[in-house]
Amino acid sequence: MAQVDFKGKTFDVDEDGFILDYNQFCDEWIEYVKDQEGIDEMTDEHKLVIKVLQEYYEKNGIAPMVRVLSKLTKFKLKHIYELFPSGPGKGACKMAGLPKPTGCV
Amino acid sequence: MAFISSGYNPEKPMENRITDIGPKKYDQFYPPVIAKNKGKWLYHEILEPGVLVHVAEGGDEVYTVRVGGCRLMTTTHIREICEIAEKHCDGHLRFTTRNNIEFMVDDKSKVDALKKDLETRKFPGGSFKFPIGGTGAGITNIVHTQGWIHCHTPATDASGTVKATMDEVFKDFQDMRLPAPLRISMACCLNMCGAVHCSDIAILGYHRKPPMLDHEYLDKICEIPLAISSCPTGAIKPAKVEWKGETVKSVAVNNERCMFCGNCYTMCPSMPLSDQIGDGIVLMAGGKVSNRISQPKFSKVVVAFLPNEMPRWPSMTKTINQMIEAYSKDARKYERLGEWAERIGWERFFDKCELEFTHHLIDDFRDPAYYTWRQSTQFKF
Repeated sequence: MAQVDFKGKTFDVDEDGFILDYNQFCDEWIEYVKDQEGIDEMTDEHKLVIKVLQEYYEKNGIAPMVRVLSKLTKFKLKHIYELFPSGPGKGACKMAGLPKPTGCV
Repeated sequence: MAFISSGYNPEKPMENRITDIGPKKYDQFYPPVIAKNKGKWLYHEILEPGVLVHVAEGGDEVYTVRVGGCRLMTTTHIREICEIAEKHCDGHLRFTTRNNIEFMVDDKSKVDALKKDLETRKFPGGSFKFPIGGTGAGITNIVHTQGWIHCHTPATDASGTVKATMDEVFKDFQDMRLPAPLRISMACCLNMCGAVHCSDIAILGYHRKPPMLDHEYLDKICEIPLAISSCPTGAIKPAKVEWKGETVKSVAVNNERCMFCGNCYTMCPSMPLSDQIGDGIVLMAGGKVSNRISQPKFSKVVVAFLPNEMPRWPSMTKTINQMIEAYSKDARKYERLGEWAERIGWERFFDKCELEFTHHLIDDFRDPAYYTWRQSTQFKF
């Protein structure tokens, strides 16, 4: 397990850069992932996606399906990719501090 | 080696980014004789094992030499394939859907030189680099998966079992003595990537122990509802577990209901289940995909468990050989293994292949299991 130090905070991450403990999530984590994921500036739309993901995860224990995320944020998949170039899984879920997507990905 | 940039700028990942261009169009790579006669082929013949000729309306002929490929290959090997294609086929070649390699020439006089070249190429260990064969009623390449080379859910190895099996049946790769083509496939877990569920003989990796639970990390790296719903038998339920004085969210597995499919591990990294002694191989038989004479069939489990015996899997290759020999002796011409087994009855199949019938082979999965039992007095002693 690797550790990342960023602006005075320490995060446990795996080899893909996903946070290992959702409870370690904080605003510094967003900033850290933002640099990694090639996102120039955090807009309100970015923040909305993150908020929706976190609320859904806290309530249901899973990340929402892509269509659910689209519906809740009212962003089309294309727009989500414009916000997060790596996509909703590798980009947005990582930034929101959710567990790494599993299955045949 | 020091870093060498391809021109990609990590500061601006979206700049000059090319996407959605798809694969190259297939007709860019046609040999001239194929491009010229596309859609105008009259008939074809198998001249000898591994060599085909297709004749077009205008009289053009194309000779195809099919050679075995190991599927998992180095760029050195691919360069050697290219070198052969340069030398004999003007730089053209193709791969088949069973990962054989086909070299095509437009004149009969070029076939012998090509064949001779292919036959003389060997690895330092002695195995053929490009064995000619794989046509007609023989055994062609084995469709297989990743195994211990690359995957994280396998119960056995792919390349190893496949090499052991192909060595055993090599004479049938270069021969066409069987009643009908016999397809062997391999998958290293019951995700069944590839064609095991519809092959004449199938090798399948299988676990025999329930998953271990890593309670410390389970809730952190898994989405628990996904792990629960991944279970086909409903053996997993959510649970609160005491872990080092803390109550953590986790799951509980009812081992009596678990049939070791490993789906939960696919969804949840904290539920590993591979085991050196528990894991092994299931053999299935009787599947097919073609519509010829009978409809397509699923393969059926005929051997419930064989141990992993690295590196040559002797009991597996022996059992496969038993099936092939019984089938080749007994089946009628054009009869696929599954058609043969259904004609003579599965009880005779087990007899002739000298396989043991165990209770593991009786279907017990949900309502459809009932239809696999015998609701008739028609059977042979």
